[in-house]
Amino acid sequence: MKLVWKLLRRHISLPQFTGFFFANLLGMLIVLLGLQFYKDVKPIFSEEDGFIRPDFLILSKRVSTFNTLGLGSVNTFSKKEISELESQPFAKRVGAFTASQYKVSCSMGIDGVAQIGTEMFFESVPDAFVDVDLQKWHFSKGDEVVPIIVPKTYLAIYNFGFAQSQKLPQISEGIVGMVEMMISMRGNGRNEYIKGRVIGFSTRLNTILAPESFIRWSNERYAPEADVEPSRIILEVSNPADDAIVNFINEKGYEMEDDKLDAGRMTFFLRLVSGIVMMVGLLISLLSFYILMLSIYLLVEKNTEKMRTLLLIGYSPARVALPYQLLTIGMNAAVLLIATGVLCFLRTLYLQRLHAVFPQMTAGSISSAILLGVAIFVVISLANAVIIRRRINKIWNNKG
Amino acid sequence: MNTITLDNTLPNVFLQRTDIQSDIWRKQICFEKGKTYLIEAQSGTGKSSLCSFVVGYRKDFDGKILFDGKDSRQFKVKDWIQIRQRHISLLFQELRLFPELTAMENVEIKNALTHFKTRQEIGCWFEALGIADKIDDPVRLMSFGQQQRVAMIRALVQPFDFLFCDEPISHLDDENSQMMANIMTEEARRQGAGIVITSIGKHMNLPYDKTLCL
Repeated sequence: MKLVWKLLRRHISLPQFTGFFFANLLGMLIVLLGLQFYKDVKPIFSEEDGFIRPDFLILSKRVSTFNTLGLGSVNTFSKKEISELESQPFAKRVGAFTASQYKVSCSMGIDGVAQIGTEMFFESVPDAFVDVDLQKWHFSKGDEVVPIIVPKTYLAIYNFGFAQSQKLPQISEGIVGMVEMMISMRGNGRNEYIKGRVIGFSTRLNTILAPESFIRWSNERYAPEADVEPSRIILEVSNPADDAIVNFINEKGYEMEDDKLDAGRMTFFLRLVSGIVMMVGLLISLLSFYILMLSIYLLVEKNTEKMRTLLLIGYSPARVALPYQLLTIGMNAAVLLIATGVLCFLRTLYLQRLHAVFPQMTAGSISSAILLGVAIFVVISLANAVIIRRRINKIWNNKG
Repeated sequence: MNTITLDNTLPNVFLQRTDIQSDIWRKQICFEKGKTYLIEAQSGTGKSSLCSFVVGYRKDFDGKILFDGKDSRQFKVKDWIQIRQRHISLLFQELRLFPELTAMENVEIKNALTHFKTRQEIGCWFEALGIADKIDDPVRLMSFGQQQRVAMIRALVQPFDFLFCDEPISHLDDENSQMMANIMTEEARRQGAGIVITSIGKHMNLPYDKTLCL
């Protein structure tokens, strides 16, 4: 075998094989990276909101310049409008958002050291609309801690914008519950404090949600005279895809907060872009395969006489083909290994960045990318082996 | 394999010719194991073609070539491999050595198939043929006569029932060709093999059982 290799390695063109090697490496890497990135990023877009079920819709009125200037129609829902909604056939339940009517400010700290303070507000929806363990979502007069749900975007704003610039530690969804919030409530001649505990994040609610009982109690205590109509409505429907809903909403000039749709669109584009990237990678792989086959053909061409002699002195076509088959399989295997290595490296790089923006994200598994890589390796190697063998058979039959 | 029979065989290139005078073409000829044959021929009468036909390298002939009565046209790739490895050894007229390998490597690449001879035995043949000093030289640096001797050694490092030598001594002096003849017949006798030698004039001095004119 050593001598056969010594014979047949003559005329191997290093530049051609290097060209193939890097082209194939690039192609393979792009394919694998495309798939892996898709797998890693997809969960971020398709994440379910644990607090608001998908058949709950949130309605608001369009805010126009007239509203801002205090002219024209109000953007709150009147009692009449709410009862009209309730009477619609698609509506199962209707609930109003109730906002806090007093001044709230909040400071947040770890180990009692206050770090951020901000003015804020609360809203509540009827507890039946919040899909969370009632043990946690509970407030009664005299409690020292109030549970709250904040929009997930707040976490991103804190982690990505604030924490990085202020050199503060980033907070993951898991440990944010340990952060203490001191909430100060002022109104009706009182100024009192209560502790807040973040029990979760919602992607669907653009508000800071507190239990209904807490809002009722605090509004009575700090702003007894205020009674304001809700500006947002939460609606449970039997079928979110019902056309009647969209028609009704359009006719009334309401707006539906639906980031689900955005997520769906994003997932679609993610899939599209990943698909295009992977196709480009596959194309490069195919071209590199073509380069390799051309080099092998050239090589066999230059070594044809030697191969013919080997066959004539008793070597089998399988044995004559073997060195070149092993050569290509070895190169393909090296490409697979290096591509997987580089993939893992690049993945840690982008996962770091992604974790900064989405601390709660759980990365997808790398197994499907590796599986795809192995599949490409097997297909390309088999094709190489078969083509080389057929070329040798041609020499055997004196047609080469 | 005990017999090779040529049954009405003729190279396709001669099909149009009617004036063929030959002891072999278009005749029934049987080469038997253990006997020695000399085929004398003018150049261009097809002796290299004959050698190509019996090792399955070319199939452009009319009629039949039978090994132990079996038609060689029915043979598959693996049958020919067996024949080339274990039954028929051929010393090519054009030698077909690998110029980039050394003399020893050229022999070893053949011996690796069956591990028929030890390195020492091969070394003895190099010694006997007077090219022991060239054993590790690349074959391309050797003269044609020296290469002929290497090719002969390569033809002997395998089990065979028949040894075909296509003009084996065209570039050798009498002393060396006698030496080569001795080694060859000794090995053939050891294996009980038949020998078929072609020649266009100068031929090895051997006790031929039959001389044929192609």
